[in-house]
Amino acid sequence: MTAKVADPKTVLLRADHLRRQIGDDFRDRIVSSLYADARRIADRSVRIGADQKWDWDQKVDRIVTSPVLGLPIMLGILSLVFWITIVGANYPSQMLAEFFFVVESTAVDLFTDWGVPDWITGFIWNGVFRGLSWVVSVMLPPMAIFFPMFTILEDLGYLPRVAFNLDWLFRKSGAHGKQALTMAMGFGCNAAGVTATRVIDSPRERLIAILTNNFVPCNGRFPTLIMLATIFVAAAFPPAFASFAAAGAVVGVVLIGVGFTLLASWLLARTVLQGEASAFTLELPPYRRPSIMRILYTSLIDRTIFVLWRAIMTAAPAGAVIWILANINVAGVSLAQRSADFLDLLGFAIGLDGVILLAYVIAIPANEIVVPTMLMIYMGVGMMSDVTSYDEIRALLVEQQGWTMLTAVNLMLFSLLHNPCATTIITIWKETRSTKWTTIGALMPLFFAFAVTFAVATLWRIIA
Amino acid sequence: MTDSISVWLLSLLLLALATAWPNVGLWAQWKRSLGQRNRRLFEDALKHIITWEHRSQAATPESLAGALALSQRRTLDLIVLMETRGHVCSDTGGLTLTPEGERWALHVVRAHRLWETYLTDDAGMPMERVHRAAEIAEHQLSEENLDQLDAHLGHPESDPHGDPIPTVEGTVKPLDAVALTEWPQGEPARVVHIEDEPDVIFRQIVAADLRPGSTIRILENSPQRLIVSDGSAEHRLAHVVAANIQVAEAQRATRPTGTRRLSELRAGEAAEVFELDVSCRGFSRRRLLDLGLTPQARVEVALDNPFGDPRGFRVRGTTIALRKQQADQVWIKTQKTSHEPEIAAEVTHA
Repeated sequence: MTAKVADPKTVLLRADHLRRQIGDDFRDRIVSSLYADARRIADRSVRIGADQKWDWDQKVDRIVTSPVLGLPIMLGILSLVFWITIVGANYPSQMLAEFFFVVESTAVDLFTDWGVPDWITGFIWNGVFRGLSWVVSVMLPPMAIFFPMFTILEDLGYLPRVAFNLDWLFRKSGAHGKQALTMAMGFGCNAAGVTATRVIDSPRERLIAILTNNFVPCNGRFPTLIMLATIFVAAAFPPAFASFAAAGAVVGVVLIGVGFTLLASWLLARTVLQGEASAFTLELPPYRRPSIMRILYTSLIDRTIFVLWRAIMTAAPAGAVIWILANINVAGVSLAQRSADFLDLLGFAIGLDGVILLAYVIAIPANEIVVPTMLMIYMGVGMMSDVTSYDEIRALLVEQQGWTMLTAVNLMLFSLLHNPCATTIITIWKETRSTKWTTIGALMPLFFAFAVTFAVATLWRIIA
Repeated sequence: MTDSISVWLLSLLLLALATAWPNVGLWAQWKRSLGQRNRRLFEDALKHIITWEHRSQAATPESLAGALALSQRRTLDLIVLMETRGHVCSDTGGLTLTPEGERWALHVVRAHRLWETYLTDDAGMPMERVHRAAEIAEHQLSEENLDQLDAHLGHPESDPHGDPIPTVEGTVKPLDAVALTEWPQGEPARVVHIEDEPDVIFRQIVAADLRPGSTIRILENSPQRLIVSDGSAEHRLAHVVAANIQVAEAQRATRPTGTRRLSELRAGEAAEVFELDVSCRGFSRRRLLDLGLTPQARVEVALDNPFGDPRGFRVRGTTIALRKQQADQVWIKTQKTSHEPEIAAEVTHA
């Protein structure tokens, strides 16, 4: 059998020639005919009655996107999600912390019995292990509550309506309406928020969403915000209103974060990422009853475990570094104290102090360890410590360390705006595969943080 | 005393390191930027010569000096360099490219046009800004980059201005068109090319909503101006502007009167899609088609927005939110009250 084999070159030339004859709109015609076929098949086999479900959906849509009720409903749902997360996570967090503490002290006893040198025991258990257990006990419960709730809203079909409501804000800043979704995801975890930007299909707007995701506080930063709101803001109100004042302060910080997201998007869209807002198409799916198994799967496996694993990988080395800094003394003063003294002037300029800055440097791997690290250096003990009540913390910060309202306000702002944690930075790199954008994503927030806190501190000192 | 000396020595050492460090030091960076600038000059010269060749004219040292804004002396140096490298021959008729020079020149042209296509179709950059961006990017893209980009964009034939994109083999489809000023009045014409330089004129054309692919008709041709219609709007153009628009025979008539943009559809009205605008290309066009906004599909407003934008539209049993900018790109015509003919029309079409 000898089939006549055409010369590849002539085939290619012929193909090229034919391609130029089919016209520019052949893609349009293909899609049209596909839809026509689908329609013919559907008409033969599907009978459509009155669409009652859709009528009902439309009524709900009119309410949740109405000018009067739309935004309040959204804020209400958001606050409810936060409230459930904060209240619900409290107890399991404590249980986990106690559990890890028991494991730790048993292990330390065991090591001492075996005659292992003190520094090895200290490094492994009071350093690395304690870092790990802090992160797990602080992060796991809120994430295990927040992500499923978020997925329920997603499954219900409510989240696309949020994007619909907020799109005008993002359009004005030159960004994509779906950034509202990735931003909401950032409340759970910025790394998850960065991954979620895959729903944005145009590269420019996706990059904006990635670079600005860090401006909404994640679960790891909420404990800091809640603590400060409780100690400083709530204390200024009568006890009956204290918890509402604290919650109000947290929501206020969140709104400031959203404001900075929009501002940073606007700046990016006008400088390095110029361009028109490109194709924005958003499907508004019918409302559906969420499927529980799917929610548990996607939120626990895809999001919680994934994020937690990365956090653990970065928290263990951080625990080690903290232990080393706090336990190596040069001329009688620990390295931690020395570095804090070194950073003190810079800290003062932005209304904070050296210890806080050092805590933020150490806490680059995971933001949840900022507060324990800070307390550890203040108290001069050699390991991360767990302080049992807010009263004790207040006594330590205000009376011994001279914190003022300015310190609290600026720490809240700094916590909101500063550089993303290592997990998020790695995720940005994974999503963009670009050193340049990863660097911008890490340094732009830091610049914002210093600029804003410096401005606030200076103004405050001039006025006060 | 010793302290201040060691501080000075240390600063000097740091400065020396920052300057001389291989690859990232200031010296290396300066060398690199010099190399880049020479490459840019060289490639711009090749581009100039090939552009003139396509116009069946030969470039001269004078035209080259003008186009690159160089002194006579430096232009001469450049031409000598290009000749010694074997890219250019010069004779009494002017400058011509050798096959080697033409291959390189086509690469630069291909890079420029593919990058313009990418910026408008995929990245959503406004048309009037892409030319300047491509002027920079064309010197930085490798052949391999271009092949990837070409495949990613689906091997487009022409860039957003209608300029043909050279193929990998180096063939360029000639542009078969005349200036709009020479087109007979009343005959429908298809815009095939818009000159992107000078910028002022180009911006006027873009503002008049004329794009390669638009079908237009000249309504009035007086010595002062041209009035053209695209079926739904009329535009006045000065002759100097119209001369930068090239047209060819139309494949279809202009849009019938009564077609409007989807963004003008009011709640409670029903309409059917007439077509997608020609300015909607690449990714955003595919997106709208995928959502079912194909000709003859029925649309109605599902959800108005208190802030005006975006609005929800009901298409083929789903609700889709579009910003005004997207809804502007869909042309619709008001539907007759009966719903039957729609299906029949689609079937015959398929």
